[in-house]
Amino acid sequence: MKTKLIFPLIAFIATSCTPKSFVLGSKVFCFDTVVSIELYEGKDEDVKNIEEILKYYDKLSDNYLPRDITNVYTINNTNETIEVSKDLYDLLKSSMEVTSKGANYFNLLAGSLSKRWKESLSQNQVLSQNEINEELDKLNDSSLSLYPNNLIKRLGEAEIDLGGIAKGYTLDVIKDYLDSKEYKHYIINGGSSSILLGEKNLGDGCFTVGMQKELPGAYFKAKNCFISTSSNSEQGVEIDGTVYSHIINPITGSAITNYDSVIVLSEDGYLGDALSTSMMMNTIEEIEQIEKDQNVKTIIVKDEKIVHKHVGIEVFR
Amino acid sequence: MDKKKLRNDIILIASLLIAAAVALTVILCTRVKTNLIAKISVQNQVVEVIDLTKKEDKHFYVDGLHGKVHVHTKDGAIAILESNCPHQDCVHMGYISESNRPIICAYNAVYIVIEGASSYDVVI
Repeated sequence: MKTKLIFPLIAFIATSCTPKSFVLGSKVFCFDTVVSIELYEGKDEDVKNIEEILKYYDKLSDNYLPRDITNVYTINNTNETIEVSKDLYDLLKSSMEVTSKGANYFNLLAGSLSKRWKESLSQNQVLSQNEINEELDKLNDSSLSLYPNNLIKRLGEAEIDLGGIAKGYTLDVIKDYLDSKEYKHYIINGGSSSILLGEKNLGDGCFTVGMQKELPGAYFKAKNCFISTSSNSEQGVEIDGTVYSHIINPITGSAITNYDSVIVLSEDGYLGDALSTSMMMNTIEEIEQIEKDQNVKTIIVKDEKIVHKHVGIEVFR
Repeated sequence: MDKKKLRNDIILIASLLIAAAVALTVILCTRVKTNLIAKISVQNQVVEVIDLTKKEDKHFYVDGLHGKVHVHTKDGAIAILESNCPHQDCVHMGYISESNRPIICAYNAVYIVIEGASSYDVVI
């Protein structure tokens, strides 16, 4: 080897050791969180387009405020048959389908029950069994029907809440956009509870995912997948030694979950989101079955310990 | 001839080791010395930029959507101390000094993001 090769080699080593280079980024406040966009390829207009997708679906799924388009708030305030956009129709359709894909504790009509728990817990009070039964009756007497030509009809008093699925669904739409551009290197971080990962542009392409909230110091590696997390660490409220979650069991009406945190790695954002919420109520045996049926991988944390981990995930410390 | 070849090989190996050491030093130094910058935004507009590496004890009052939000920095960390939001999730988050973990007051459309070095690409 000649000494002339030394300097190109040094340059090569120096550049290959450089951490992932940041190309394009933005932070958008939507879905009541901060969504961070990081593209390691592409153009400014791609970031703008992704921002628009996020803002649009935030409007569509808003159940608290009327917006300039027909959204979930609109549906929650009528029992008439109404026409919605195809995008909202498809979102609602997917939200109804997840129950048959293992998310048996996900019910999009649990909005009023969830709101009532939130209000009660914000005053450090637990809902009484009578109040829970009242909300469960409302939920069981309500329905949402989808008809051809984007027509829908909500019957009853229970309100729709897409909080457990809308962000994941929106990440699916963003992934379709990124695929159409043939981009591979990106992170779309929906406030840590819903993350879309492409590939890192160095090494084995895996991103490091820190489990800061539940297991400080622990991390795993992942690429080309959606990561959905449901956790009580920030929104759980402790009353008389019991932690009450913002995640409500739509069958029993309880706000007590089986685990502190459920992390789901999936190929579909909407399914991962719904499953991570629903699995907070599942047994480990049920979770293992869902992993097989739906081709997802999970990490379940309780009392600062991993109580279940798919064999395909390695957690480092 | 062989001696010259050997000398060149030694130079090459030594240079590679030096280059690797330099690259490693650069990476480690960048990680340690990168400033931690906290950005406070209201409705997607940045209203305050704070250098947390200065470790200043400072109070900020930000006009949120429904009232003032009291922000405090100390020891290189930042927290929302007071907000008129109903659930107080933002206040319960306490002091944050890691990037990748925003503090959000959805009620007031206020969010605080720390930018800078992090051990991970994303945090859940």
